[in-house]
Amino acid sequence: MTLRGFRTWCAIALLCVSTAASAHRFHFGMTDISYNERTKSTEIVHTYTAHDIEALLLNLYGRQFDLSDLDDQDVLRKYLERQFWIAAPDATRLPAKWIGMTVDANSVVIYQEIENTPLTRTATIRQGVLIDFLPEQVNTVNLNTDGAVRSLTFGRKALEQPAQ
Amino acid sequence: MHLRPIPCVLAALFATSTVHADDFQLQRVLVEGARASQLGIADSAGAGSAGARDLAGRIAYRPGELLEVTPGLIASQHSGEGKANQFYLRGFNLDHGTDLATWVDGMPVNQRSHAHGQGWTDLNFLIPELVGRLDYRKGPYSAREGDFSSAGVASLSYANRLVKNIASATVGEDGYRRALVAGSQEAAGGSLLYALEAMHNDGPWTRPDDYRKLNAVLRYSRGFANNGWSVTAMSYRGDWNSTDQIPLRAVQDGRVKRFDLIDDSDGGEARRLSLSGIWRRTDADSASKVSAYVIRNRLDLFSNFTYFQNDPVNGDQFAQPDRRVTTGMDATHTWHMHRTDKLSSDLTVGAQLQNDNIFNGLYDTRKRERVATTREDHIVETSGAVFIESAIRWSDALRTVAGVRASNYRFRVDGDRPENAGKAHDTLVTPTLNIVYGPWASTELYANYGHGFHSNDARGTVATVDPKTMEAVDPTPGLVRSRGYEFGVRTEAIPKMQTSLAVYRLDFDSELTYIGDAGNTEAGDPSRRYGIEFSNYYRPLKWLSIDLDAAWARARSRGSNPDGDRIPGAIEGVAQLGVTLDPSGPWSGSLRLRWFGPRPLIEDDSVRSNASLTLNGRIGYRLANDLRLELEGFNLTNRRASAIDYFYESQLQGEAAPVADVHFHPIEPRSLRLTLVKQW
Repeated sequence: MTLRGFRTWCAIALLCVSTAASAHRFHFGMTDISYNERTKSTEIVHTYTAHDIEALLLNLYGRQFDLSDLDDQDVLRKYLERQFWIAAPDATRLPAKWIGMTVDANSVVIYQEIENTPLTRTATIRQGVLIDFLPEQVNTVNLNTDGAVRSLTFGRKALEQPAQ
Repeated sequence: MHLRPIPCVLAALFATSTVHADDFQLQRVLVEGARASQLGIADSAGAGSAGARDLAGRIAYRPGELLEVTPGLIASQHSGEGKANQFYLRGFNLDHGTDLATWVDGMPVNQRSHAHGQGWTDLNFLIPELVGRLDYRKGPYSAREGDFSSAGVASLSYANRLVKNIASATVGEDGYRRALVAGSQEAAGGSLLYALEAMHNDGPWTRPDDYRKLNAVLRYSRGFANNGWSVTAMSYRGDWNSTDQIPLRAVQDGRVKRFDLIDDSDGGEARRLSLSGIWRRTDADSASKVSAYVIRNRLDLFSNFTYFQNDPVNGDQFAQPDRRVTTGMDATHTWHMHRTDKLSSDLTVGAQLQNDNIFNGLYDTRKRERVATTREDHIVETSGAVFIESAIRWSDALRTVAGVRASNYRFRVDGDRPENAGKAHDTLVTPTLNIVYGPWASTELYANYGHGFHSNDARGTVATVDPKTMEAVDPTPGLVRSRGYEFGVRTEAIPKMQTSLAVYRLDFDSELTYIGDAGNTEAGDPSRRYGIEFSNYYRPLKWLSIDLDAAWARARSRGSNPDGDRIPGAIEGVAQLGVTLDPSGPWSGSLRLRWFGPRPLIEDDSVRSNASLTLNGRIGYRLANDLRLELEGFNLTNRRASAIDYFYESQLQGEAAPVADVHFHPIEPRSLRLTLVKQW
């Protein structure tokens, strides 16, 4: 099966379960990684359900957070940086800079950037955001290389994967 | 542009998501930073929750005042600071917590069959900086709640981790000093939380309270609050002098000044040690929680409310020592059942066990030395309860929560007087039903019905003679039923505003009343209360929030007492107006106006206490990113009012006979406290 075919199949399966059994919530995260020719940086965009992030922070700290507040955003930043990282071929972690985040009623979108680094420096990805909290959490990482997108799927049994 | 199939489906999933039974509480805090919306969550208009930010913004003279985040609740102090607070809610003078159940981290705070007052709730061990949330529920509408919960329940929980470590130092007028260090760190795969607090306060009293408090918390937790466990050790000790209530006549004729006292050896000391654990497991289909605790409480309390009436030579000071070990375990399990897209239900079963091994007594003392023993008892009080609760979401508009609880109490009293020793037991089955109807997007209607109860002092359940007068008395029932009815509405139809309105009736089979001159609570006549509560929270701008609560209640005794049907101390109204400003710059501030309504002091309503209005304020200034200075001001308008008034007979030295009079404890005059807070 081609990658595109696999993704289409995944999408159909997702749609089926979403209409058949809405009683259970599905826990997904998505991370798009791409190289920006103009800034010469690798850009990372995470999307999570606001609901899952709220539950995570509530149960980690036992209190509620206001993610429009910079101090409270910092709490999420620390968590994300523990759970998500990219390593270079020599196993050193690439410094992903926190650019910012947006929140609405449905989703939390987080922007990171690895300055002056092409996507080819990405050797290993760890994407464990929310997976420690929700066993059924599945994170999809889309690596966008020159217009071609490759997807990696991270779950409790696959937290770290080679990117190349 | 080509469409990516997976993101499209994910977007569709996000967009169509609705609230389900297995959801964590979906709240708007993340988005708007507002007080958590209770729509779709709370089962009554009188239930709610306050988060850490809300609580941190409160201006609290004493830790018990954190409970005032519950609309309509007043926590005050009528004696030395180390004594349990005096609470008022829903037309009750709750004394030290007779019908207000308070929980901290799954541990009951109310002490039953307590030497001084039934349900004694000493919250001085509370460290506000550790509190992650406070949940409150007013009225007896939940099968999960048992003893003392008829007026309401306040449940506080400490956070497992702090976002930042904190060190703070406070200096204030009247000898106020406080130092706190609290923090958390990852350790051995979990989190270690620690806090140490030392505090001193004299208050404005002629004889300083010299209240010294030392407080410590140590907790180790693993995992998450909903999927993990924690073990917590707490230690509190406090020593203080008391300025008890003073007679109005003596202040009016100049014999004593407003902040003077009559008996200069009143006071007390309290020790509390606890070890507790909580284990929780949550998945999409079920949730379980087990908590267990061992609490050792020791109190020595010396009071004198009648001065020289009973003993013109030695004075009437009496001691009420209480030493106890409380052990208990609570367990609940919930099954989430998803029947169809619209219909879902949660079925919860739970069990509660609690045992108190108590040694307490009542002694006549002079300058804290015993001169006579009125009674001395060893009490073993054991209770068990099971409940079942079904929460069903019938449609997007209709929810119901129905439950039933069976509570069994066993009392064993061994004392110095065989006629007041023995065993008793009592069982009560209490049903509850809540109907929530909300066909609109931002408004819900509530109808609530439920039975609750409080336990009576074990010593009363086996008593045959009054140890003071030696008159014959009838034993009291162990458990006393209450019945509550309520209609409420909660709306967020006005943008950025949360409003709730409740109208209730609460009947009690027997009212627990405080006997001012005996220093004890007594099971009294049946009672009926009607009340209205109106609560608003408005946050028009991100940096500005306004809250306004008002409550009115009518409380009447139904025991055909020839003297009248008023209930002494029953509060008739409470109102609070708070304004909080937190712009992005270094300055922040808040002002809070509190109206503490009038109370009848005697059954025929011929003597009443005045209402009082107090204003507290706070100004904060951020010196650096993690360093801030806070100035708190209490009673800014320097009102002269009472924290409590009683009407009873007392006799001062030089008086030939007892005089019926108002006895009061003044509120503290204007005072300031300055705090430096460092976080890292």
